Amino acid sequence: MARKRKTIKRNESTDIELNIIPFIDVFSMLNTFLLFSAVFVATGIIEVQVPFLSSAPPPKDAGERSLSVKIDAEKTKVQVVTSYSKEPVNEQKFDFPNTKDGLDEMHKKLVSIRQANPDTDKLTFFSEDDVIFENVSAILDAAKFRLSTDPVFPVKNPKTGVMEQDQQFVFPKIVIGSVVL
Amino acid sequence: MASAGSSKDTLSLNLYPMMDIFSILITFLLMSYSTDPVSHDVNAGLELPESRTMIALDEIPAIVVTKSELFVNDKKVVDVVNGEVPQAQLGESHQGAIRPVFDELKRIAETNKRITASVAASPADNVAVGKTGALTMEMDKGHPFKLMKRIMLSAQQAEFVTFKLVATRLDN
Repeated sequence: MARKRKTIKRNESTDIELNIIPFIDVFSMLNTFLLFSAVFVATGIIEVQVPFLSSAPPPKDAGERSLSVKIDAEKTKVQVVTSYSKEPVNEQKFDFPNTKDGLDEMHKKLVSIRQANPDTDKLTFFSEDDVIFENVSAILDAAKFRLSTDPVFPVKNPKTGVMEQDQQFVFPKIVIGSVVL
Repeated sequence: MASAGSSKDTLSLNLYPMMDIFSILITFLLMSYSTDPVSHDVNAGLELPESRTMIALDEIPAIVVTKSELFVNDKKVVDVVNGEVPQAQLGESHQGAIRPVFDELKRIAETNKRITASVAASPADNVAVGKTGALTMEMDKGHPFKLMKRIMLSAQQAEFVTFKLVATRLDN
Protein backbone atom coordinates (compact mmCIF):
# COMPACT_ATOMS: atom_id res chain seq x y z
CA MET A 1 0.00 0.00 0.00
CA ALA A 2 2.73 2.43 1.02
CA ARG A 3 4.85 1.50 -1.99
CA LYS A 4 1.91 2.25 -4.35
CA ARG A 5 1.36 5.77 -2.92
CA LYS A 6 5.01 6.67 -3.48
CA THR A 7 4.74 5.75 -7.16
CA ILE A 8 1.72 8.01 -7.66
CA LYS A 9 3.54 11.02 -6.16
CA ARG A 10 6.53 10.62 -8.50
CA ASN A 11 4.33 10.55 -11.61
CA GLU A 12 2.17 13.63 -10.67
CA SER A 13 2.89 16.74 -12.75
CA THR A 14 3.71 19.71 -10.51
CA ASP A 15 1.51 22.52 -11.99
CA ILE A 16 1.62 25.73 -9.95
CA GLU A 17 -1.28 28.07 -10.67
CA LEU A 18 -1.31 31.66 -9.49
CA ASN A 19 -4.56 32.68 -7.86
CA ILE A 20 -5.33 35.95 -9.66
CA ILE A 21 -8.77 36.54 -8.14
CA PRO A 22 -7.39 38.78 -5.32
CA PHE A 23 -5.50 40.78 -7.96
CA ILE A 24 -8.73 41.35 -9.87
CA ASP A 25 -10.46 42.43 -6.65
CA VAL A 26 -7.75 45.01 -5.95
CA PHE A 27 -7.77 46.26 -9.56
CA SER A 28 -11.55 46.61 -9.53
CA MET A 29 -11.46 48.67 -6.33
CA LEU A 30 -8.65 50.86 -7.69
CA ASN A 31 -10.51 51.36 -10.97
CA THR A 32 -13.71 52.36 -9.21
CA PHE A 33 -11.86 54.84 -6.97
CA LEU A 34 -9.93 56.37 -9.87
CA LEU A 35 -12.99 56.67 -12.10
CA PHE A 36 -14.93 58.42 -9.33
CA SER A 37 -12.16 60.86 -8.46
CA ALA A 38 -10.92 61.58 -11.99
CA VAL A 39 -11.50 65.07 -13.37
CA PHE A 40 -11.33 64.84 -17.14
CA VAL A 41 -11.46 68.58 -17.90
CA ALA A 42 -8.42 70.53 -16.75
CA THR A 43 -9.36 74.06 -15.82
CA GLY A 44 -7.16 77.11 -15.48
CA ILE A 45 -7.62 80.79 -14.78
CA ILE A 46 -7.06 84.09 -16.57
CA GLU A 47 -6.55 86.79 -13.97
CA VAL A 48 -7.82 90.29 -14.78
CA GLN A 49 -8.54 93.41 -12.76
CA VAL A 50 -11.09 96.19 -12.88
CA PRO A 51 -10.13 99.80 -12.15
CA PHE A 52 -10.65 100.93 -8.55
CA LEU A 53 -10.18 104.04 -6.51
CA SER A 54 -7.38 103.91 -3.99
CA SER A 55 -6.22 106.24 -1.25
CA ALA A 56 -2.64 105.01 -1.71
CA PRO A 57 -0.05 107.64 -2.77
CA PRO A 58 0.70 107.73 -6.52
CA PRO A 59 3.66 105.63 -7.66
CA LYS A 60 7.09 107.33 -7.83
CA ASP A 61 7.26 107.08 -11.62
CA ALA A 62 3.75 108.56 -12.12
CA GLY A 63 5.18 111.75 -13.61
CA GLU A 64 7.47 110.00 -16.12
CA ARG A 65 6.64 109.57 -19.81
CA SER A 66 5.33 106.04 -20.16
CA LEU A 67 3.66 103.94 -22.84
CA SER A 68 0.06 102.84 -22.44
CA VAL A 69 -1.26 99.89 -24.42
CA LYS A 70 -4.99 99.44 -25.06
CA ILE A 71 -7.08 96.85 -26.87
CA ASP A 72 -10.50 97.74 -28.31
CA ALA A 73 -12.50 94.64 -29.19
CA GLU A 74 -15.40 94.61 -31.60
CA LYS A 75 -17.30 91.70 -33.11
CA THR A 76 -15.31 91.77 -36.35
CA LYS A 77 -12.05 93.52 -35.50
CA VAL A 78 -9.60 94.14 -32.69
CA GLN A 79 -7.63 97.36 -32.44
CA VAL A 80 -4.37 97.79 -30.51
CA VAL A 81 -3.70 101.41 -29.54
CA THR A 82 -0.39 102.59 -28.13
CA SER A 83 0.26 106.11 -26.86
CA TYR A 84 2.61 107.91 -24.49
CA SER A 85 1.44 109.67 -21.34
CA LYS A 86 3.31 112.90 -22.24
CA GLU A 87 4.09 114.85 -25.40
CA PRO A 88 4.91 113.68 -27.97
CA VAL A 89 1.96 111.30 -27.44
CA ASN A 90 2.74 109.46 -30.69
CA GLU A 91 -0.54 107.50 -30.80
CA GLN A 92 -0.50 104.46 -33.07
CA LYS A 93 -3.37 102.17 -34.02
CA PHE A 94 -3.11 98.64 -35.37
CA ASP A 95 -6.19 96.81 -36.66
CA PHE A 96 -6.58 93.04 -36.76
CA PRO A 97 -9.53 90.89 -37.82
CA ASN A 98 -11.28 89.22 -34.89
CA THR A 99 -10.39 85.72 -36.10
CA LYS A 100 -7.88 83.11 -34.96
CA ASP A 101 -5.28 84.24 -37.51
CA GLY A 102 -5.98 87.87 -36.71
CA LEU A 103 -5.42 87.25 -33.01
CA ASP A 104 -2.15 85.43 -33.79
CA GLU A 105 -1.02 88.53 -35.66
CA MET A 106 -2.13 90.72 -32.75
CA HIS A 107 -0.12 88.54 -30.37
CA LYS A 108 3.00 89.03 -32.53
CA LYS A 109 2.42 92.80 -32.51
CA LEU A 110 2.00 92.86 -28.73
CA VAL A 111 5.20 90.83 -28.30
CA SER A 112 7.09 93.36 -30.43
CA ILE A 113 5.58 96.26 -28.41
CA ARG A 114 6.60 94.60 -25.13
CA GLN A 115 10.08 93.89 -26.53
CA ALA A 116 10.54 97.55 -27.40
CA ASN A 117 9.11 98.66 -24.01
CA PRO A 118 10.08 96.06 -21.41
CA ASP A 119 8.96 98.31 -18.51
CA THR A 120 5.36 98.38 -19.75
CA ASP A 121 3.65 95.35 -18.27
CA LYS A 122 0.06 96.63 -18.10
CA LEU A 123 -2.58 96.48 -20.81
CA THR A 124 -6.09 97.95 -20.71
CA PHE A 125 -8.89 96.02 -22.39
CA PHE A 126 -12.08 97.59 -23.77
CA SER A 127 -14.87 95.73 -25.52
CA GLU A 128 -18.18 96.29 -27.22
CA ASP A 129 -21.18 94.80 -25.37
CA ASP A 130 -22.01 92.22 -28.06
CA VAL A 131 -18.62 90.45 -28.11
CA ILE A 132 -19.10 86.98 -26.63
CA PHE A 133 -17.07 85.67 -23.68
CA GLU A 134 -15.37 83.00 -25.82
CA ASN A 135 -14.00 85.78 -28.00
CA VAL A 136 -13.04 87.96 -25.02
CA SER A 137 -11.20 85.00 -23.53
CA ALA A 138 -9.32 84.38 -26.81
CA ILE A 139 -8.25 88.05 -26.99
CA LEU A 140 -7.12 88.06 -23.35
CA ASP A 141 -5.25 84.82 -24.02
CA ALA A 142 -3.42 86.32 -26.99
CA ALA A 143 -2.54 89.44 -25.01
CA LYS A 144 -1.56 87.89 -21.71
CA PHE A 145 0.17 84.57 -22.27
CA ARG A 146 3.57 83.94 -23.79
CA LEU A 147 4.13 81.24 -26.40
CA SER A 148 7.17 78.97 -26.21
CA THR A 149 8.56 80.67 -29.34
CA ASP A 150 8.27 84.19 -27.87
CA PRO A 151 11.17 85.97 -26.18
CA VAL A 152 11.28 86.01 -22.38
CA PHE A 153 10.56 89.36 -20.72
CA PRO A 154 12.10 90.72 -17.53
CA VAL A 155 9.79 91.18 -14.55
CA LYS A 156 10.38 92.58 -11.09
CA ASN A 157 9.70 90.15 -8.25
CA PRO A 158 7.30 92.06 -5.94
CA LYS A 159 8.70 90.34 -2.83
CA THR A 160 12.44 90.56 -3.44
CA GLY A 161 12.56 93.47 -5.90
CA VAL A 162 14.98 91.48 -8.07
CA MET A 163 14.51 91.39 -11.86
CA GLU A 164 13.59 87.89 -13.05
CA GLN A 165 12.70 86.21 -16.33
CA ASP A 166 8.95 85.94 -16.88
CA GLN A 167 8.28 82.60 -18.55
CA GLN A 168 4.48 82.89 -18.59
CA PHE A 169 3.31 86.32 -19.65
CA VAL A 170 3.62 88.96 -22.34
CA PHE A 171 1.43 91.47 -20.46
CA PRO A 172 0.94 90.12 -16.93
CA LYS A 173 -1.44 92.88 -15.79
CA ILE A 174 -4.71 93.22 -17.70
CA VAL A 175 -7.27 95.79 -16.62
CA ILE A 176 -10.83 95.63 -17.95
CA GLY A 177 -11.21 99.31 -18.76
CA SER A 178 -14.88 99.03 -19.76
CA VAL A 179 -15.87 98.45 -16.13
CA VAL A 180 -15.81 101.99 -14.77
CA LEU A 181 -18.07 103.40 -12.10
CA MET B 1 -9.25 4.70 -22.16
CA ALA B 2 -12.23 6.36 -20.49
CA SER B 3 -15.47 6.53 -22.40
CA ALA B 4 -16.93 9.89 -23.52
CA GLY B 5 -19.83 9.59 -21.11
CA SER B 6 -17.65 9.30 -18.04
CA SER B 7 -15.26 12.14 -18.86
CA LYS B 8 -15.62 15.25 -16.67
CA ASP B 9 -15.73 18.51 -18.76
CA THR B 10 -14.23 21.47 -16.95
CA LEU B 11 -14.95 24.98 -18.18
CA SER B 12 -12.41 27.57 -17.10
CA LEU B 13 -12.60 31.29 -17.74
CA ASN B 14 -9.42 32.88 -19.03
CA LEU B 15 -8.98 35.93 -16.85
CA TYR B 16 -5.71 37.20 -18.34
CA PRO B 17 -7.30 39.43 -21.07
CA MET B 18 -9.42 41.06 -18.36
CA MET B 19 -6.30 41.66 -16.29
CA ASP B 20 -4.68 43.28 -19.34
CA ILE B 21 -7.64 45.63 -19.83
CA PHE B 22 -7.65 46.56 -16.13
CA SER B 23 -3.91 47.27 -16.19
CA ILE B 24 -4.25 49.56 -19.22
CA LEU B 25 -7.25 51.35 -17.69
CA ILE B 26 -5.43 51.89 -14.40
CA THR B 27 -2.33 53.19 -16.19
CA PHE B 28 -4.49 55.66 -18.15
CA LEU B 29 -6.39 56.81 -15.06
CA LEU B 30 -3.21 57.23 -13.04
CA MET B 31 -1.65 59.26 -15.88
CA SER B 32 -4.67 61.57 -16.11
CA TYR B 33 -5.17 61.79 -12.34
CA SER B 34 -5.40 65.41 -11.37
CA THR B 35 -2.87 66.65 -8.85
CA ASP B 36 -4.18 70.23 -8.98
CA PRO B 37 -4.88 71.74 -5.57
CA VAL B 38 -8.52 72.21 -6.50
CA SER B 39 -10.43 69.83 -8.71
CA HIS B 40 -13.75 71.19 -9.78
CA ASP B 41 -16.47 69.65 -11.90
CA VAL B 42 -17.91 72.07 -14.40
CA ASN B 43 -21.67 72.60 -14.19
CA ALA B 44 -23.68 70.69 -16.82
CA GLY B 45 -25.34 73.83 -18.19
CA LEU B 46 -22.09 75.59 -18.89
CA GLU B 47 -19.45 75.53 -21.61
CA LEU B 48 -16.09 77.11 -20.82
CA PRO B 49 -13.86 78.92 -23.32
CA GLU B 50 -10.39 77.54 -24.03
CA SER B 51 -7.17 79.12 -22.83
CA ARG B 52 -3.39 78.60 -22.99
CA THR B 53 -3.16 79.47 -19.30
CA MET B 54 -0.89 77.36 -17.13
CA ILE B 55 -2.27 78.82 -13.91
CA ALA B 56 -4.28 76.22 -12.06
CA LEU B 57 -7.58 76.87 -10.39
CA ASP B 58 -6.85 77.67 -6.74
CA GLU B 59 -10.34 77.97 -5.33
CA ILE B 60 -13.88 76.89 -6.16
CA PRO B 61 -15.61 79.55 -8.31
CA ALA B 62 -17.73 81.98 -6.30
CA ILE B 63 -19.71 83.23 -9.30
CA VAL B 64 -21.06 80.68 -11.74
CA VAL B 65 -23.04 81.88 -14.76
CA THR B 66 -24.65 79.00 -16.62
CA LYS B 67 -26.75 79.40 -19.79
CA SER B 68 -29.86 80.16 -17.71
CA GLU B 69 -28.88 81.00 -14.13
CA LEU B 70 -26.43 83.03 -12.09
CA PHE B 71 -25.14 81.59 -8.80
CA VAL B 72 -23.10 83.24 -6.06
CA ASN B 73 -21.52 80.61 -3.80
CA ASP B 74 -23.96 77.95 -5.03
CA LYS B 75 -26.95 80.17 -4.23
CA LYS B 76 -29.09 81.08 -7.23
CA VAL B 77 -29.33 84.85 -7.39
CA VAL B 78 -30.91 85.74 -10.75
CA ASP B 79 -32.03 84.14 -14.00
CA VAL B 80 -30.21 84.62 -17.28
CA VAL B 81 -32.33 84.82 -20.44
CA ASN B 82 -30.54 85.06 -23.80
CA GLY B 83 -27.36 86.29 -22.14
CA GLU B 84 -29.19 89.03 -20.24
CA VAL B 85 -30.56 89.40 -16.73
CA PRO B 86 -34.30 90.19 -17.02
CA GLN B 87 -35.04 93.88 -16.32
CA ALA B 88 -37.35 92.93 -13.44
CA GLN B 89 -34.48 91.16 -11.62
CA LEU B 90 -31.88 93.90 -12.06
CA GLY B 91 -33.28 95.70 -9.02
CA GLU B 92 -32.39 99.19 -7.96
CA SER B 93 -28.97 99.09 -9.56
CA HIS B 94 -26.25 101.63 -10.12
CA GLN B 95 -24.76 102.12 -13.60
CA GLY B 96 -25.86 98.76 -14.95
CA ALA B 97 -24.91 96.62 -11.95
CA ILE B 98 -27.14 93.73 -10.85
CA ARG B 99 -28.54 94.61 -7.43
CA PRO B 100 -29.09 91.03 -6.09
CA VAL B 101 -25.50 90.10 -7.10
CA PHE B 102 -24.16 93.24 -5.42
CA ASP B 103 -26.14 92.50 -2.23
CA GLU B 104 -24.87 88.93 -2.05
CA LEU B 105 -21.25 89.91 -2.74
CA LYS B 106 -21.41 92.79 -0.25
CA ARG B 107 -22.61 90.35 2.41
CA ILE B 108 -19.68 88.03 1.58
CA ALA B 109 -17.21 90.94 1.62
CA GLU B 110 -18.43 92.08 5.03
CA THR B 111 -18.23 88.55 6.43
CA ASN B 112 -14.67 88.26 5.06
CA LYS B 113 -13.73 91.57 6.66
CA ARG B 114 -15.16 90.53 10.03
CA ILE B 115 -13.27 87.22 9.92
CA THR B 116 -10.01 88.92 8.86
CA ALA B 117 -10.41 91.51 11.62
CA SER B 118 -11.09 88.88 14.26
CA VAL B 119 -8.01 86.83 13.35
CA ALA B 120 -5.71 89.88 13.00
CA ALA B 121 -3.29 89.45 15.89
CA SER B 122 -1.62 92.85 15.76
CA PRO B 123 -2.54 96.37 14.55
CA ALA B 124 -0.17 95.80 11.59
CA ASP B 125 -2.31 92.85 10.49
CA ASN B 126 -5.33 95.17 10.32
CA VAL B 127 -3.86 96.64 7.11
CA ALA B 128 -5.08 93.49 5.37
CA VAL B 129 -8.64 94.10 6.59
CA GLY B 130 -9.20 96.99 4.18
CA LYS B 131 -7.77 95.10 1.20
CA THR B 132 -9.94 94.57 -1.86
CA GLY B 133 -10.89 91.03 -2.72
CA ALA B 134 -10.58 88.54 -5.56
CA LEU B 135 -13.37 86.51 -7.11
CA THR B 136 -13.25 83.36 -9.19
CA MET B 137 -15.80 83.52 -11.99
CA GLU B 138 -17.00 80.69 -14.22
CA MET B 139 -19.10 81.80 -17.16
CA ASP B 140 -20.60 80.16 -20.24
CA LYS B 141 -18.59 80.98 -23.36
CA GLY B 142 -21.68 82.13 -25.28
CA HIS B 143 -22.61 85.01 -22.96
CA PRO B 144 -21.98 88.56 -24.20
CA PHE B 145 -19.46 90.95 -22.65
CA LYS B 146 -22.39 93.09 -21.48
CA LEU B 147 -23.36 90.46 -18.89
CA MET B 148 -19.74 90.05 -17.79
CA LYS B 149 -19.50 93.85 -17.40
CA ARG B 150 -22.66 93.98 -15.30
CA ILE B 151 -21.34 91.27 -12.97
CA MET B 152 -17.93 92.95 -12.72
CA LEU B 153 -19.61 96.30 -11.93
CA SER B 154 -21.66 94.67 -9.17
CA ALA B 155 -18.52 93.05 -7.75
CA GLN B 156 -16.50 96.25 -8.06
CA GLN B 157 -19.11 98.10 -5.98
CA ALA B 158 -18.83 95.33 -3.38
CA GLU B 159 -15.02 95.89 -3.34
CA PHE B 160 -13.97 92.90 -5.44
CA VAL B 161 -11.56 94.10 -8.11
CA THR B 162 -9.56 91.02 -9.12
CA PHE B 163 -11.27 88.38 -11.24
CA LYS B 164 -10.03 84.90 -11.98
CA LEU B 165 -11.87 83.83 -15.12
CA VAL B 166 -12.13 80.05 -15.39
CA ALA B 167 -11.27 78.48 -18.76
CA THR B 168 -10.56 75.01 -20.11
CA ARG B 169 -6.82 74.55 -20.28
CA LEU B 170 -5.39 73.74 -23.69
CA ASP B 171 -2.32 71.53 -23.84
CA ASN B 172 0.56 73.79 -24.90
